[in-house]
Amino acid sequence: MKRHSVLLKEELCEGCTNCVKNCPTRAIRVHHGKATIKGELCIDCAECIRTCAYHAKYSKTDSFADLEDYAYPIVLIPPSFYSQFRKISPLEIRNYMFKLGFREVLDVALAAEALSIKTARFLEKNPGVFISSSCPVVVRLVRLLYPELTEHLLPFKPPVDVMAEKARRDAIARGISPEEIGIFFITPCPAKYTNIFSPVGFEKSDVDKAISVDKAYQAILELRRETNPVESEPIDEQNGLPYLGMGWGQSGGELRIMPESMQERSLSVSGIHRVKALLDEISRNNIKGIKYFELAACNYGCVGGVFNVVNPFQARFNLRRLQVRGHRPVKQDYSQYNYELPGKFEALRIGQLDSDLEKAMAKFMQLEKEIELLPGLDCAACGAPDCKTLAEDIVNGLASRSDCIFLLRKQVGELADKMSALAHELPPVMKKEKKDR
Amino acid sequence: MQEKLILENKIERGDFARGGETSSNLKELLRKLGIPSDKNRRITIVAYELEMNIIIHSYGGEIKVYISSEQIKVVAADSGPGIEDLEKALQPGFSTADDEIRDMGFGAGMGLNNIQHYSDDVEIETGPGQPTKITAIVNL
Repeated sequence: MKRHSVLLKEELCEGCTNCVKNCPTRAIRVHHGKATIKGELCIDCAECIRTCAYHAKYSKTDSFADLEDYAYPIVLIPPSFYSQFRKISPLEIRNYMFKLGFREVLDVALAAEALSIKTARFLEKNPGVFISSSCPVVVRLVRLLYPELTEHLLPFKPPVDVMAEKARRDAIARGISPEEIGIFFITPCPAKYTNIFSPVGFEKSDVDKAISVDKAYQAILELRRETNPVESEPIDEQNGLPYLGMGWGQSGGELRIMPESMQERSLSVSGIHRVKALLDEISRNNIKGIKYFELAACNYGCVGGVFNVVNPFQARFNLRRLQVRGHRPVKQDYSQYNYELPGKFEALRIGQLDSDLEKAMAKFMQLEKEIELLPGLDCAACGAPDCKTLAEDIVNGLASRSDCIFLLRKQVGELADKMSALAHELPPVMKKEKKDR
Repeated sequence: MQEKLILENKIERGDFARGGETSSNLKELLRKLGIPSDKNRRITIVAYELEMNIIIHSYGGEIKVYISSEQIKVVAADSGPGIEDLEKALQPGFSTADDEIRDMGFGAGMGLNNIQHYSDDVEIETGPGQPTKITAIVNL
């Protein structure tokens, strides 16, 4: 079964260890000159795609051709998608989506807005600290590396799934037969694509297909070339565009919708390495006075998604402009959405040396010895991100000491010394003087 | 399984730069040993408090962590100056930390209470001018 959406173009991989070193979960190793991702450790954060100088890492998503499989295709636009355009208004973008063949064009921003309000009410009622669960990478990271914090994840579905469920329900209520409906999402990142076929916290996603932002961007530009491009104002009061919820496309946007009383007890942090540093502090109880954490794995939030075309700085600016214009939440019935997570976020138990404590201890002692032997330079030339990880791979039988070039050199040196000593040993039939002559 | 020493770290007075290192290492290590995450979190919080106590209040010391089938035990031992009035020190909010340390976010007077709260058993050996030895246990 497919579980991840980050892939490798083998012919492009040079076997450098940039991705290995930058992977937040130490999921990548270079073996035989090619990078391999350990599926059970991958959280689809796309850091490797970002880091790879040879563009060998990529992610495959669905395409517009997939619309043909459905008589009634619906598209869900994430707030961050609008950040890709400076001179094309949200309204115009929506119209292009109809032209591309979608029967309904829906904004995830509306569900996001509603979810913010729901979240604020939930936080008022429930004691304890909570972490937003809308970024699938954050959810996967917590389950994997911070299992002790899993119970602090907000027990709601991400906005796109909240919107998708409503879209399907509404379409069926209007008499459209379920097999005709195809729900598409324009995704800014591989993780949101992965969540379609391998969701966390629920059995099946209501989203059927996901098309990456770059493909959608290209399609819109082509349509625009065919039609007469008219610069449009990025505002359409009559249709209620833009929405305050569009701010969700960037870090901090979720909090801005909440009442001030909740904003002042919340913090937003973005960027996977910073998120990890924060989770470390939360885990050791070293963060005080904060009730809610809005976390996003990409820098600046979804505007920093790896499928985006426009750089995250420009995207952040573009989106902020829209959010400033849409100052109020849209008047809508919040009870029309189902927010509740059907399942539960389960903590993972991955990375233990053995399921039996005694055996794990024996392996741990061995691990300490291996770490002692290795040079501690963390050069990654062995294909593992650092010496400690190599030691663990050795203990688990996945690597050998000679994978370390320093240990290998030492061994070769010792061998050369032995050979040299051996070369000077005299065969017993020879006399000593003979050698000296 | 018999009790085994799994971690040993020297801690110097005022070494804030390395504050949290012992507890971070411990957390990672216990994860590798397959300790359930809730127990891991409790012992990590306890170890962090003990670590910071040595950095802030003592002349320096050492943390040792032992594991057996029944329990995880953290022993924090310093070389003084000891706790003047233990009963008072155990009152929530009581702290002898100065303003500078409070500005850094420490010294809220909850350290010992936190240790008691997250441990199953705590033993404190101290006295004025004496070394302090705190043994905290989380049962498995």
